[in-house]
Amino acid sequence: MNKNYIYLTVLMLVLAAGLFVLPERDNSKQTNPEDLMWSIVQPTRFISTDVVAKMIIERDPTLELIDVRSEDEYSEFSLEKAINIPLDSLTSENYQNYLGIKGLKAIFYSNDDIKADQAWVIAKRLGFDNIYVMKGGLNCWMKTIIEPTQPNETASSEEFELYSFRKGASIYFTGANMENDSEGTKAVINVQRKKKTSVVEGGC
Amino acid sequence: MGPLIPQGIITGGWDFVIALLLGIAFGFILEASGFSSSRNITGAFYGYNFVVLRVFLTAVLVAMIGLLYFDYFGWIDMDLLYILPTYLTPMIIGAIIMGFGFLIGGFCPGTSYTGIAIGKLDAMVFTGGLFIGIFVFSEAFPLFSDFYYSDNMGNVTITEVLGLSAEVFTMIMVVVGLAAFWVTWLIEKRVRKNINPYKFE
Repeated sequence: MNKNYIYLTVLMLVLAAGLFVLPERDNSKQTNPEDLMWSIVQPTRFISTDVVAKMIIERDPTLELIDVRSEDEYSEFSLEKAINIPLDSLTSENYQNYLGIKGLKAIFYSNDDIKADQAWVIAKRLGFDNIYVMKGGLNCWMKTIIEPTQPNETASSEEFELYSFRKGASIYFTGANMENDSEGTKAVINVQRKKKTSVVEGGC
Repeated sequence: MGPLIPQGIITGGWDFVIALLLGIAFGFILEASGFSSSRNITGAFYGYNFVVLRVFLTAVLVAMIGLLYFDYFGWIDMDLLYILPTYLTPMIIGAIIMGFGFLIGGFCPGTSYTGIAIGKLDAMVFTGGLFIGIFVFSEAFPLFSDFYYSDNMGNVTITEVLGLSAEVFTMIMVVVGLAAFWVTWLIEKRVRKNINPYKFE
């Protein structure tokens, strides 16, 4: 009997036994703290209420609004086409299918931007990209979009332009569009779940 | 890092290139192991040649241990690997039919092509039968599609079903596999007169 067979047998056993002594290793795709810190200070992770309003009005297909408040608050009032992922359910796998969809911008919002910001950090740590926070949350939404304040007479023309946009948006969101749709019906988003790899069925 | 295509490191268009390369390598190994001879293949059933068992068990053990080490080093994301769904009863029945085909025909689908590649007539006849079988099966599929999809256990792995850790199961397979190598070697030595062991260069 060739000695090499014995060596190979021992090698296989050693390799298999080696699996037991390997320390536990976490291979999950979490963002490391340095990257997280870097992306946390980027102002681009915030999206203003004006931009969100514009995206809704233009029916931007890349918009995915995520309401991170509780279910009750969500059913009381939510933005058009927003889906509800309560902050404490964000880590459950059922909801994570809604994040990280290619080509979609997931924008978190809550009453202010504290909860939404927390959701953003959690989602970032879970390794998702293309996530944003709506600056100022729903409070800011009410102040800027629903009841915009008229700028002073001496204000710049940009401010007046912004004001007229907000005024139009306010009409869009509060009534002008009422007879068509949206009131009372929550949009159902067809989530395209990430497909597993293509099937390779092997024989021998 | 891996798997390369689901992670988007290379695009799905490489599927065919990779399949071609793997196919060539697979065919080469089959032929080099002597699988293009139906005597070698059916020998496992008659108890005089266990090369099929040894080659495939080697492949299984190397792949098992390799994957676990790759996972440990972070080279592959095991969650992204495709797991074939288990239809328990239909699979057992299918395996029995496959075994009979193996025994009667002397080839399995893959090895019949290596047989053709070196010009074996029996392999050509076998492959003809293979295509007739595929045609009949496809045409008659509605008759037994209910059975085909019955007993679905989903995309489960054996470690999930048995509740074992991957390390323990791998160890069991390695011990069983290595024992099988040595035992079949002893059997072959007793049964065959003209056996000559492989020489390592």
